Amino acid sequence: MSNYLDPAALMAIRNLELRARSVVEGFWHGLHRSPYHGFSVEFTEYRPYAPGDDPRYLDWKLVGRTDRYYIKKFEDETNLRCHLLVDNSKSMTFGSRGFTKAAYANTFAATLAYFLSQQGDAVGLLTFDEAVREYLPARNRPGHLRQLMLALEKAPGGAATDLAAPLKRIAELVRKRGLVVLISDLLAPVETLETSLAMLTASGHEVLLFHLADPAEITFDFAAPARFLDLETGRDLFLEPAVARAEYTRQRDAHLAAVHAICERLGITHHRLITDQPLELALFDFLNARRARGKIVRRKAAA
Amino acid sequence: MNFLAPLFLLGALAIAGPVIFHLIRRTTREVTPFSSLMFLKATPPRVTRRSRLENLWLLLLRCLVIALLALGFSRPFLQKENALALPGASAGKRTVILVDTSASMQREDLAAQARAKAEAIVRAAKAEDEIALLAFDRAPRTLLNFEQWRKATPDARVAQAMQKMQTVVPGWSGTGLGTALLQAAEMLNSPSEGQSPALEIVIVSDMQEGSRFDGLQGYEWQRGITVRVEPVVAKKLANAAAQWIADSEEVETANEKSGPRIRVMNSAEAHGEQFALEWSAKNGAPAEKLDVYVPAGQVRVARPPLPEPGAERLALLGDEVSFDNALFILKPQPVQAPLLYVGNDANEDSTGAFYFLGRAFQKTPSLRVDVRATRGDAPVPAFQLQEAQMIVLGEMTGDAALPGIRQFVSDGKTVFAPLANAASAGTLARLLEAPAFTATEANVKDYGMLAQIDFQHPLFSAFADPRFSDFTKIHFWKHRRIETTALTGARVLASFDDKNPAIVEVPLGKGRVIILASTWRPADSQLALSSKFVPLLYAMLEQSSKLPPRKAQYFVGEEVPLPPGAQPFKVRKPDGVEIETAAGSSFADTDQPGIYGVTPGTLRFAVNLAPDESKLTPIGADRLGSLGVPLASMLKPLVPHSPEEAARAQAAELESRQKMWRWLIVAALAVLLIETLIAARVSHASPSHAAI
Repeated sequence: MSNYLDPAALMAIRNLELRARSVVEGFWHGLHRSPYHGFSVEFTEYRPYAPGDDPRYLDWKLVGRTDRYYIKKFEDETNLRCHLLVDNSKSMTFGSRGFTKAAYANTFAATLAYFLSQQGDAVGLLTFDEAVREYLPARNRPGHLRQLMLALEKAPGGAATDLAAPLKRIAELVRKRGLVVLISDLLAPVETLETSLAMLTASGHEVLLFHLADPAEITFDFAAPARFLDLETGRDLFLEPAVARAEYTRQRDAHLAAVHAICERLGITHHRLITDQPLELALFDFLNARRARGKIVRRKAAA
Repeated sequence: MNFLAPLFLLGALAIAGPVIFHLIRRTTREVTPFSSLMFLKATPPRVTRRSRLENLWLLLLRCLVIALLALGFSRPFLQKENALALPGASAGKRTVILVDTSASMQREDLAAQARAKAEAIVRAAKAEDEIALLAFDRAPRTLLNFEQWRKATPDARVAQAMQKMQTVVPGWSGTGLGTALLQAAEMLNSPSEGQSPALEIVIVSDMQEGSRFDGLQGYEWQRGITVRVEPVVAKKLANAAAQWIADSEEVETANEKSGPRIRVMNSAEAHGEQFALEWSAKNGAPAEKLDVYVPAGQVRVARPPLPEPGAERLALLGDEVSFDNALFILKPQPVQAPLLYVGNDANEDSTGAFYFLGRAFQKTPSLRVDVRATRGDAPVPAFQLQEAQMIVLGEMTGDAALPGIRQFVSDGKTVFAPLANAASAGTLARLLEAPAFTATEANVKDYGMLAQIDFQHPLFSAFADPRFSDFTKIHFWKHRRIETTALTGARVLASFDDKNPAIVEVPLGKGRVIILASTWRPADSQLALSSKFVPLLYAMLEQSSKLPPRKAQYFVGEEVPLPPGAQPFKVRKPDGVEIETAAGSSFADTDQPGIYGVTPGTLRFAVNLAPDESKLTPIGADRLGSLGVPLASMLKPLVPHSPEEAARAQAAELESRQKMWRWLIVAALAVLLIETLIAARVSHASPSHAAI
């Protein structure tokens, strides 16, 4: 654990891009010592040029360097198109560890974006609350990452969390199949969630769900009785935490279980992300999921 | 424990405040934002003791602060038995009633009004009260003092006081309110046994403008005295008055033909402006009138014609207020002070001493000095010695006059002896019975001057001022050298610049001999021609004769000095009463205006009303206030009127002595400090648990 960056220390860095870079570079450093080195998001391969190949796909730089003809034949196909769906609703502004869930989610999104663009993958962004707020199509070109960072740095504004609309919208926008990474606290009714996610998977996207939670949301370790204010609706409730805790845990577990069940059904990789965990681990989870996915795919292909 | 302001204890109800705030705190404060309440249901707060009132110590301290404040504001005090005797509570009130009996109270029914007011005050007195009665005009006089009041039984007191009041009739004097107030204050100052009662002075007066307030300014009034004014009011305030301006002597002598100068004054409230001055003769026949026109509020000086012989009363006609309308005027009678010259000088010998002496004394209206001379070697006639007020010794041919002169000196008179030559020292030696006394002609180079003058001596005191003390202009061509050692008790009043005595005073019997070691003859010196000569002679005459200064008119109440004499005088007052008065003393019983006669002799003097008494405009009590008199209207009533008020006043006094509220406030502040410290500690400790 000590090798990783403490999230609280990380969040103290104001610049989002710098934050993302710290995580990724730390991750690379850590990777050298990790038993999982040697794999990446997508395997790119070169194939010797054979006559008849479209010279468009010749790697001219390689020709220039080695005087050999190679075709990046599969590069275009295998290149990942990744869309990051980041929840920026009001509930994300909660945070008990000195930073909000939104900050954590944005940093994580930025980290992924940076990591992927380092690998040359196209990264798109869609932030949403009850509606879509920002949309950047998946691209991999200079400046895109910066734009993406700027979009992520915008303060969360919306009120409610409505997953249905943004998911439907992304399904409409992104026609090409790709990777969709959904980062949200999923504090929304489960009922609509399934149809929306199903819409994504149905359109061929690979969906990765990072289910974000604050430690306080898990343990509900408030001591003093107080008025609890719902950040999204503005509703307030007078609560005796000791009394309410059991019911809360039960409801929340049920919610989690429901979400998990949906993901299982739809073949969505579901990760729970607690904001006091280092981001590297989340990144590791991401890569692990990708590998597992590859295995599944390969297994399915073999079958 | 009693409370001065028990209503403030209701403030302790504010204790409910902190309790409520401590309870309310649970619901109003500590809003915890949370991401979503979708998993939460409203739980009713547990009602337990702990949850209701947290920080019980803080609550207690806050309640204590409020309780202490409420207690402090309610001004608690400890009732002690007999802790304090309040003025007026147990002892009676001491009142001095000042009744004005000045001439202005003769108007209308003012005297009756005053009597009624005084009576009302006396009748209102309680058994424990004490009352003194003072009548005042020019000076106060006690009618009834506290001692007499105490001695009488409560029933007899009023009757006694009323009886005294009956004797109060307005006289003719001025109004000396200041003196009367001071005497009344002194009466109250005299300590009475036991507790200090309430002290009051009641002035029953017409409070006229002409009142005198001598001594009031700067008087240290004893604490507790209040002065109340009970004014008596006359219907008519308009008044005109006539006054005789008898002071300016030069003018009188200049116009002997015209009559006295009369100042006619008309008050501002007056309606009439036309007045007349009329002499009334003894036979009552009307005499010539002089019309005088004086507008309201103004003053005119008129000169009525010379009166018929025997007419001494001048009446002012046309004024309704009559008490001050008569003036008594006497033609000024000069004091006769004959001076005897014993010597051989001829009357018109301008080289001699007598020539200058006769011219030094000029006639004045107040003093007439006849310079007479006795010449030849014969005893001075006894009648001359009797009349003479001073003797000047010239060159004498024999000693026959000496025994008479010595007797004259021994009786208290003065002999002025200029030494005409060295030989006259022998005569002087025989007069003084000092045979060793001699004189020699001094050797004067150019001239001698007076030096080392004793300005302390009455003879030279008039010259003490540096403007007049220059004697160097007087040159002495010749003078005698005398030896003062031979003269017992001799005092050198002035010396020549060659250190020889010039003027020597030698006591003899009751009188004195003043020796001048030169003369004022032109051959000897310039003294007779100098400006010092006449004042010097007058000073000598004054010292010798001891004649009282005489004024043309006196005012009612003033003392009239009587001349010295062998037997007592009888003074006949205008109403015919004769009063025997010792010679040389003063006649003080001038209680009415008029012409007073003194027998034996022809001395008469006129007594008139004090001019201020004619100013009748009433003054407000604030005039007294501005002089520092503690007026009742300006002070809060010291004497409580009801038992409740008395109790309250006593409680207030006790409370102000104990001042417990101060300690309560200090305690409240201390508790507040502790509360602050505890609260700071609590709020310091809580953030970790509050931030969740």
